[in-house]
Amino acid sequence: MDYLNTRSTESLNLEEFRAVNGTFPKTKEILDLKQQGNKVFGWLCTYVPEEVMHAAGILPVRITGYSQETELEDGNAYLYINNCSFSRSCLQMGLRGEYDYLDGVVAGSTCDGARRLFDLWQHYIKVPFQHILTVPRKYTERAHCLYYEQAVKFKEHLERHLDFEITDEALLKSISLFNESRELLKELYQLRKLDRPPITGSETMEVLNASFRMPKELFNHYLRQLLDELAVSKIEHQNQARLMVTGSVMNNPEFIHSIEELGGLVVTDELCTSTRYWSDPVVLNGRSPLEAISRRYLSNFPCARMVPSEERFDRILQLVRDYKVDGVISQIIRYCVPYAHDLPLLSARLKAAGIPTLALDVEYGTPGSGQIRTRVQAFMEMLETRKR
Amino acid sequence: MTTAESRSEIDILIRTYRLLARMNRAQNKGGSSHTLYFQLLADYYTRVRNAHEEGKLLAAHTVFFPTEVLYAMDIVPMHTEMTTWLSALFLREQAGLLAKGAELGLAPEICSPHRGVAGIFALNAIPRPDIILWSNLICDNTAKSGELMMELSDSPGFFLDNPFQNSSGEMDYLVGELEDMVHFLEERSGRKMDWDRLSEMVARTNDEIDLYREIGELRKAVPSPMSVMDDLELLSADYMFPGQPEAIQYLTHLRDELKGMVQEGKGAVTNERFRLMTLFIPPMYLMSYLEQLFEEYGAVSVVEPLFTLWSEGWLDPAHPLESVAKKSFLIPERRSMYGPLGEQALQDIIDCAEQYKVDGAIYWAFMGCRHTCATIKVIKETLSEVDVPMLTIDCDIVDPTINSEEEVREKLEQFFEMLEDR
Repeated sequence: MDYLNTRSTESLNLEEFRAVNGTFPKTKEILDLKQQGNKVFGWLCTYVPEEVMHAAGILPVRITGYSQETELEDGNAYLYINNCSFSRSCLQMGLRGEYDYLDGVVAGSTCDGARRLFDLWQHYIKVPFQHILTVPRKYTERAHCLYYEQAVKFKEHLERHLDFEITDEALLKSISLFNESRELLKELYQLRKLDRPPITGSETMEVLNASFRMPKELFNHYLRQLLDELAVSKIEHQNQARLMVTGSVMNNPEFIHSIEELGGLVVTDELCTSTRYWSDPVVLNGRSPLEAISRRYLSNFPCARMVPSEERFDRILQLVRDYKVDGVISQIIRYCVPYAHDLPLLSARLKAAGIPTLALDVEYGTPGSGQIRTRVQAFMEMLETRKR
Repeated sequence: MTTAESRSEIDILIRTYRLLARMNRAQNKGGSSHTLYFQLLADYYTRVRNAHEEGKLLAAHTVFFPTEVLYAMDIVPMHTEMTTWLSALFLREQAGLLAKGAELGLAPEICSPHRGVAGIFALNAIPRPDIILWSNLICDNTAKSGELMMELSDSPGFFLDNPFQNSSGEMDYLVGELEDMVHFLEERSGRKMDWDRLSEMVARTNDEIDLYREIGELRKAVPSPMSVMDDLELLSADYMFPGQPEAIQYLTHLRDELKGMVQEGKGAVTNERFRLMTLFIPPMYLMSYLEQLFEEYGAVSVVEPLFTLWSEGWLDPAHPLESVAKKSFLIPERRSMYGPLGEQALQDIIDCAEQYKVDGAIYWAFMGCRHTCATIKVIKETLSEVDVPMLTIDCDIVDPTINSEEEVREKLEQFFEMLEDR
């Protein structure tokens, strides 16, 4: 039974985004670009500066795993069963040739899973260009200097590999394009603050997934169209409770949909595939383009890997207030240690703010069925009772 | 648990180590490196117990933390993982600590030593530290455990950010981090860093590394002179006493014992048949059992490349803080476990297999250590290039409910039979 209360018979036109997600990684746009002689690089974590690749004429695409829960025989064999199912899923796709068009893979030393995924990608799946950036875990000036140095090394490595200079002009153009994308996504999220948002959480995730799987120029064009459509749309969604989803990497709109089917409306999130991907723009502020890029990537809405965690907790609490959130669903992939360690600390802070948390142990790609569904249902009932 | 009770837990550790030292002295007519090791640990925990009474700052720290800096400032270090699990093993409190960790909301996939550390802090079962020090060396668990410890003990803390790769910029970053830490410690302790003392410790660390390398060379002998029980003691000499006279005293004693055995042609086991490479650490609670089993089958661990193979290079006492930073790139665990996993790390495994005349390898796949387990397949394939078979045993290094003696015996027996057939 669909509990989502929608005041319109209209439905959003998300066809362009769905077409990209439905065929990724072998999407038409990517394959066409390859055929035209363009290079496509895969990146593994939001601490990898996409603008640098884009300024070199490369299409950066985010490496993600299977869009549904899948047997991960190869992933288990190569990364062992105790690495997160996201890493295992990505590696299995790589091993099976799903990303065989990649001209390069770039990672950051962000968590154990990500750096070992990169190690094994490098060892078993040969790509012409491989690079890993050391990503500090602090926000100090010294940490910013180190990360900038890493960004310079990355740029120089790319230039040597391509025999091509990445100019400041090119970086400025890329910054402008990526900032535009961030600004458009911010506009989309503003609509989710409404009492009756015109777009659901699962639909938003479909848009977000497409954002790192296609050329930004095209994505921005489609997103502008969607925003125009939403501006005149009569669609209004309301549900029993306004929810926020936090935790590990997640690309699965079906998971969000299953929550929304049970009476929740996901109005915001703290995921590296959504808010943490787009939230902060690159601000030049008198800095060189590369300095500005590196500063943005290190000080962006933080991953649980960063220390102190208070910065992340504060921003989550701010989102709770801004989006009038009734409850938080923390979904943590098994063996995603940074988020698992933070959970007791975050839950305590949310509790102090009067916000209940539902903590779910999940596998990457889960559609949110079975026991998860039962637990979400109980959580929704609890939230409903609190409202009375 | 009250402060008095938590003090009694440390008292139990002290009493246990003194008893072990006495028993060992009696058995070995005057003592062995084991006797010395037990006595040194008794002294270590006596310092932990008396720190506050003596007006000293007690610093709880995670594994692979550069405690030379603490020793140089007369701050008393308390190794959280070692303290937690030594006391848990002696008092058979593993289940209670893990249950407390679970009660705090820590998922079972978080490595058990760190769930236990959170548990012991929540139970106030060790002396309340004045400060918490932690770093990302060696994994996400160490990086993420400090803030919860700070909250549970209501203590201030410092996180030391250890860069991933070894470049001059990253080395400078780490030195800067260490400088910040020294300032933090000076503010908290009201004492100034004694740079001359730190230089002495750095000089002594060179001697320590030299001894580690010498011991490594002696273990190449056939038969090999060191037992599986010695492994943990060997590692903890640097974990607990880096650059300290105690480390030199223990390692010298061990080196001399091994040298004597090699000269006499004596091995760690009576009839050496299988020379093994150990990858990661066997479950701590099975150590005595494994020693018996290895004696029964004539098996001996001759090399542990993830833990005992120091990188090339020396430290410079004239630049003590830079040397402390450099040491973190020399330690064996850095290259093989923390990464990046380069060709050199794999070549080292091959070199070890050949130089130590290894017949087979055992990978203790500790489920809590994700980044180490991710290398199992690569290392197995690497070893197969030099015709060394590898057995992988899933385990937990501290939780005794995961592996039974029978199960481990069965797997090892099958492996030894296979090695015999070869």
